[in-house]
Amino acid sequence: MKAFFSVFRMRLRMETQYRGAVLGGIVCQVFFGLILIAVYRALYAGKPQSLPLSHVTTYVWLQQAFFRMLLSSDAELMDKIRTGGIAYDLCRPVYLYGFYYARIMAQKLMGSLLRAFPMLVFAALLPEGWGISLPASLPALMLSLAALLLGLCCVCAMENISMALTMRTLDPRGFQAMLNLLMMILSGNILPLTLFPDSWQRVITLLPYAQMLDAPIRLYTGEYELTQGPGVILLQAGWTTLLVLAGMMLWRRNQDRLIIQGG
Amino acid sequence: MNTVRLYLRSMGILLKSQLQYPLSFLLQTLAQLIMEGGEMLAVVLLVDRFDHLNQWSAGDLYFFFGLMSVTFYITECFGRGITGNFPSMVRTGQLDTLLIRPRGILTQVLCSAVDPRRITCIAVGTVSLILGSRMSRVDWTAANILLLAESIFCGFWLILGLFLIEAILCIHSVKSVEIANALTYGGRSACQYPVDAFPRSLRTLFTVIAPFALVMHVPASRILGKPIFGWPDWVAWISPVSGFVLFAVMVFLFAKAMRFYRSTGS
Repeated sequence: MKAFFSVFRMRLRMETQYRGAVLGGIVCQVFFGLILIAVYRALYAGKPQSLPLSHVTTYVWLQQAFFRMLLSSDAELMDKIRTGGIAYDLCRPVYLYGFYYARIMAQKLMGSLLRAFPMLVFAALLPEGWGISLPASLPALMLSLAALLLGLCCVCAMENISMALTMRTLDPRGFQAMLNLLMMILSGNILPLTLFPDSWQRVITLLPYAQMLDAPIRLYTGEYELTQGPGVILLQAGWTTLLVLAGMMLWRRNQDRLIIQGG
Repeated sequence: MNTVRLYLRSMGILLKSQLQYPLSFLLQTLAQLIMEGGEMLAVVLLVDRFDHLNQWSAGDLYFFFGLMSVTFYITECFGRGITGNFPSMVRTGQLDTLLIRPRGILTQVLCSAVDPRRITCIAVGTVSLILGSRMSRVDWTAANILLLAESIFCGFWLILGLFLIEAILCIHSVKSVEIANALTYGGRSACQYPVDAFPRSLRTLFTVIAPFALVMHVPASRILGKPIFGWPDWVAWISPVSGFVLFAVMVFLFAKAMRFYRSTGS
């Protein structure tokens, strides 16, 4: 356990090194958020929906702020797999699944927190109808924070699976790229899941992708009421457990028969 | 003419090398299909929910989306050297090798990469264009076809010019500059919808500074028979040239920036 904490701490420090790049990323992300909201505003002006516009803008800002949580970004680990450098990690006397889980989690946590804070402050300062609105209630905020944490665990488990699959195929660009794109669509990054047709939402919200950011955001805006909270959390926890178990199994299989790229 | 031959020859060689790993290529192409398919799905679902955007019907919106997607990915496919590889060329010092060869830098950069995986994105865009023109009952006269071709052609140079901004910043700062993405990828995301959907500041940005509206929306709206901004017909033939102008300005600035190029030395 101590080893996991120290790798976690190391990655946290690394994430804070490139502050200039972070700033550039934030400006871009904010710009994208403004564009999306402008489009939704124009659409809403033509045909108002039962879902309030403020929920949509809040959804967009929270998605943009925590974008880094979804995006798989550990290029270094990918390189290790491709070049065979992963052999060094295999020699470490730690449980590999946990080792990578901690590493990925630190990166996602710090990466998104660094970006989320300034972006959410900016979004809160925007005029009515453009910015982020306050959470539905204090308990809703608490619940959505808990859900966000669980969502993070869920994303990390998912990424560990795609990492394990990359070890199989050695080429991250095909398989992993596809999983990533699926994630962008089904987690509500490209289009808020709340704007999908209502009949689709019944299925989509049950998928693991919806547990990552969609569920916390819906708890925040009050789309999911407080009474639904425990059910949502349970679903998240269920998927996370399932994905972690699947990931552990895949890693064990990988370690049993592994071919390291030479060089 | 020699330059064109050189470019075509490079493309042939690069294409061959990419096809050496057929499975990987296939998977990556498929990933591109999912990506652009997802973008189109978003437009389809929005249209399903909202019916229209200002005066633009569902068909019009598909048409605008298709035009942007075809143009943008043709650029990413054939201009990969500028749109993708340039920052890493500067960082690794690979650009130095281009300096000693008897050809222009930009020519060589353009010849250095092609991205055939984008073909599926272009296909999605084409489907959207056809679907949109059917739904909006576009009359495909010779003039309209020519206007569409002009728009795509000028759009290619416009987008290439915008990516040159990143290249220019990169020469000065060595690191790739993410902020420049706001104009390129941001422009794509925004201007797949007609520009009059946006508030004044964004509209000005995408009309005057990064003239997506002049290059794409003015001719497209003329083809759809609903001229944007209420401008007369002949303007649609002239306004796309602004893409070319932007590219020319950027080439000039690029040449100036190259005078400051200091090799990274690795």
